Amino acid sequence: MGSKKTLLALGFFLILGVMSLVGSEVKASSPQLKITPELKEKFPMKPHHEKLAFKCVDCHEGQGDDPENFKAIDDKGCLSCHKTKQYLADRLKFMDALHVNPHNSIHDGPKLYCDECHFEHKKSENMCLSCHSNDVKIWMRPTP
Amino acid sequence: MIKKIFLIIKSNILLTALVGVLVGLLSSWILYEGLHRTSGDKFCVVCHEMKPMVAAYENDVHGGAGKTGIKVTCATCHLPHENVIAYIATKARNGVVEGAIHFFGNPDKIDWQANRANRQHFVKDEACFGCHTNYRTNESISEQGRKMHEHYASLEGTKNEIGCASCHAEVGHKGLRSMLNYYKPEYEFYKGKLDKKKEEAEKKLAEDLKK
Repeated sequence: MGSKKTLLALGFFLILGVMSLVGSEVKASSPQLKITPELKEKFPMKPHHEKLAFKCVDCHEGQGDDPENFKAIDDKGCLSCHKTKQYLADRLKFMDALHVNPHNSIHDGPKLYCDECHFEHKKSENMCLSCHSNDVKIWMRPTP
Repeated sequence: MIKKIFLIIKSNILLTALVGVLVGLLSSWILYEGLHRTSGDKFCVVCHEMKPMVAAYENDVHGGAGKTGIKVTCATCHLPHENVIAYIATKARNGVVEGAIHFFGNPDKIDWQANRANRQHFVKDEACFGCHTNYRTNESISEQGRKMHEHYASLEGTKNEIGCASCHAEVGHKGLRSMLNYYKPEYEFYKGKLDKKKEEAEKKLAEDLKK
């Protein structure tokens, strides 16, 4: 009699345990443009974006399916993930102490267009260098 | 002797069960209290080399800087929660390793900035979801945010799997990069020039830890 009760209790907990394991959701797959090695070479991505396994359409949304016709996504596109220019400026606050924060410079404040320096599919260009050609490298790393 | 104890147990089955329950409850309670009292900023900072991290944490919503002042403990985000054995094992191992580094190692040699690249391993996603349960459907999150959260979910279990902190770079520690620079500048150029900022930060941290 006692063992029957024990069995019942055990079974109850076993079922509860199994139930807690179930419930992982099925992943939805979305149609996507296939990223071929050729495409990757033609439009290389920045390593920090590459690591996140983005698809073309994650940025180039609603721009068709031909990469040749994709357009730059402008500030609005960048900031849809990167929040605001002020937020980006604040992340480099330590540079403000010496007035060398590229996102909050004494010339432009937090107002520059993203693509004045940053390019996703080619090498970025640090605009500060056009005047401060010698000292920029001691203030900051190459523009990501 | 053993036979005698066995006999006593057999004749007092109810009492033995009661004692067993009490012992079980007591040890659970000790474990619970032990784990919880050793999971917050005030305790962890004693041995762990993490002053700049705590200073940045106190400035973050997760560190009590939000409107409600609610604080999440260090262990909530940084220890695995899949099962209690892994939780305790990680806690014990980290405690020993970090304590050893603090007392016998050379903490000044640690490159905090470089270690930030591993942030997705330091932050346990299941801990994030413990509070942010509806991160995929919450309509207060921007449309792009929800889209990216779907992207995150679609990568789960693949070789490209990412973590919450892969994108949420300074989550839990607002202004972490700057704070680390106040303590140990990334570039020669800043050396000695940010000491005032460090002083301010240390003063605020001391006050925050007293609270």
